[in-house]
Amino acid sequence: MQISARHLDNTTIFDVTGDIDLANSPAVRKAFLTELREKKIPRVIVNLQGVKYIDSSGIASLVEGLKASRDLKARFILFGLSKSAREVLQLSRLLKLFEIYENEEQALSAESV
Amino acid sequence: MSNPAVLCGVRGAVSPLAGAVGFGEEDCHKITLALDEAITNVIRHAYGGKLERPIKIEFHKVNGKDAAKAGLEITLTDRGVKPNPDALKGLPPGELRSGGLGLHFMRQSMDTVVHTRVGSTNRLRMVKYIR
Repeated sequence: MQISARHLDNTTIFDVTGDIDLANSPAVRKAFLTELREKKIPRVIVNLQGVKYIDSSGIASLVEGLKASRDLKARFILFGLSKSAREVLQLSRLLKLFEIYENEEQALSAESV
Repeated sequence: MSNPAVLCGVRGAVSPLAGAVGFGEEDCHKITLALDEAITNVIRHAYGGKLERPIKIEFHKVNGKDAAKAGLEITLTDRGVKPNPDALKGLPPGELRSGGLGLHFMRQSMDTVVHTRVGSTNRLRMVKYIR
């Protein structure tokens, strides 16, 4: 799994590739929380186009990011979910709690909900 | 071994194995997810995150009397602590909480999920049948 960050106006986009499981979900979680809580970035976007597998620990990292964003009145956005990632989020019944888009353009241009 | 680094290799092995038994792509993914979650639970809870503890995984093809009952049985055995009975009840999904989903995923993905303890050994038996 690899995670890298790009910085735009008041926005950080995390590009995640590979599988998110117990081995690497802590690093994903730390990246999200550092950006939100320490750097106070108002909008964090997570590019999941390169993620083919995610388990409950990966979902937990996304949930931690979402919860932190709500606490800080920031936005936490996902885009590019694979079919399997979407199914796992659906299985957790958390799909509707996240702000999700098909691609980066849509994620960047979306107004606050 | 109870090392998260093995999860990727296990996933890579179980999916084609499930396919060879006769499961379709969607069910192969469900079986992979269930096994991944089961191993994760052993690592985190039975062994408290300690590495290099033994986890035994066995696969058996289930041959029913008719094709509808054929399937795959997966058994995990570990020597970790006895699970908390409350933890085995699982937590309802849908709430914005970062834990408790693994057992839910296992039960949603497999037809049978049974925990037992014999002496100092935990045994988890999961079965999925081909529809």
